[in-house]
Amino acid sequence: MFLGIVLPYLHLCGQEESSIKLKFQPALEKVSLELGKTFYINGNTDSITFYVLRFYISGIQLLLNCEVVWRDTSRCYLLDAENEKSYNISLKVPRNLMFNEFNFSCGIDSTTNVSGAFGGDLDPTNGMYWTWQSGYINAKLEGKSSLCKSKDASFQLHLGGYQFPNNALQRVNLPIASGEMLVNLELLQFINNINIAEKHHIMSPSPEAVVMSKTFSNSFKISR
Amino acid sequence: MKRKCALLFLVLPVILSAFITVEKPSFEIPPNWPKPVYNFSKNPINREVVSLGRALFYDPLLSKDNSISCASCHSNYNAFTHVDHKLSHGIGDSIGIRNSPVLMNLAWSPTFMWDGAINHLDMQALAPITHPREMGESFTNVVQKLKKSKLYPTLFKTAFQDSIISGERTLKALSQFMVTLISANAKYDSVMRKQAQFSLQEKNGYALFKKNCASCHQEPLFSNYQFENNGLPVDTSINDFGRMRVSLLSADSLKFKVPTLRNLNYSFPYMHDGRFKKLSEVINHYTNGIVKSKTLSAKLTNPIVLSENEKVDLTAFLLTLTDKSFVFNPEFAYPKHILLNTLNN
Repeated sequence: MFLGIVLPYLHLCGQEESSIKLKFQPALEKVSLELGKTFYINGNTDSITFYVLRFYISGIQLLLNCEVVWRDTSRCYLLDAENEKSYNISLKVPRNLMFNEFNFSCGIDSTTNVSGAFGGDLDPTNGMYWTWQSGYINAKLEGKSSLCKSKDASFQLHLGGYQFPNNALQRVNLPIASGEMLVNLELLQFINNINIAEKHHIMSPSPEAVVMSKTFSNSFKISR
Repeated sequence: MKRKCALLFLVLPVILSAFITVEKPSFEIPPNWPKPVYNFSKNPINREVVSLGRALFYDPLLSKDNSISCASCHSNYNAFTHVDHKLSHGIGDSIGIRNSPVLMNLAWSPTFMWDGAINHLDMQALAPITHPREMGESFTNVVQKLKKSKLYPTLFKTAFQDSIISGERTLKALSQFMVTLISANAKYDSVMRKQAQFSLQEKNGYALFKKNCASCHQEPLFSNYQFENNGLPVDTSINDFGRMRVSLLSADSLKFKVPTLRNLNYSFPYMHDGRFKKLSEVINHYTNGIVKSKTLSAKLTNPIVLSENEKVDLTAFLLTLTDKSFVFNPEFAYPKHILLNTLNN
């Protein structure tokens, strides 16, 4: 019985792995985001400053011709502009694995949302959990912009919601060509594609949060 | 990799021994009760963690100005609610919009709060801790304060074998204390276990209860944990529409969670806004005060008719849900032995 349990494990121990490195880079017009720095955008007609940018990446999968060949079920990653190290995700995959596409969820799945307290990147002390109503905030963007019609030109976008019909979780599919990939998060494209003039404060699950989450997830691009 | 293999050899005998030694569970399901909904496999009950959770529950350190603990609005002597207060109180004498609910038998509750806004017991404490009219503190700061305290690094080490203090551990410890708050020792329970008998009046009351009340207040927990509009007129000074705030569905307007009836003589005033001080007012509401509206519970469309004598009998039955051993359980009380030692620190 002992051998039966241990032998397959020894076999696994012997198998070699290689790593895939994903680097996420939030940027505005190809300039890397710096919190607190004012960016002049849209031909210098507008300005925008970010104070907070935090978002979750989870459920990373590798695919070969649309078939899933590897799945990272182990964890969720909190990417935080205050800690640029968090932009780097390293995946251990079996050596010689073939793939040409990867995908991930931008946020936290509904099962995790209803399963109580977790630690690490999911610990509620990270400020990514709503307190008055259960649920993770998938992406948090805060700052100010001349585009906003709010009193102090501020915006606070807390995008999340795991329950029907306002489930905001989005899947992102991107091509992958090598073991080291740079994934840009094009924040200017996001800002220009939402009506931030009017929709500058989103703080709870809603149809608007779902639409904005789709726009956010469409702002991830592979660097060419 | 080699280390992992070696670890397996070390761990394996432990796993096997777990099958040989059957440990006595620390959380016992009362006889004839359903299975709890709380997932104990993710947070296995441990005496030391319960003890940590109890200290946290009674510690005002969890509030912004260190003035209010969970127990301020959930006192053990009042079946863990705030007796005689219509609406919950918070820091700086602020007042909330709802009556603080009783805390008991929480492992069976699938949702929390009057509107079910909280989906898991572990996450419940975040709401009052961070609410500006309750404890008004950021949870990140609570964990920082715990780390800096003289008391908690030791308590966490005793509970978790290392002194790492995290949000997850704080919440899980609070959950462990709260799930131990089981009330299953009222006269009603003794009768059901055939260790006692109802008086004639209580027996009549029980029959009236089963006919008129039990569809929502289902035995043995005395709630079906559903959301219902029980026909209360809207208090226009508060304009609280209940579950609709959470679901954003007009079909949920004025619906609130069916509360348990256990220990109701300790937990007045009644209803989500504490509008009824006496049990007789509650019963009179159901017989004479129902306001009809689109979302009124289907179970209340036919009027409940009770004579004055029947109301007395029903009340006699409801008082059999009083569980003194729960309310006066020293294991649930303020942990002097832990918290008083550190007051001057």
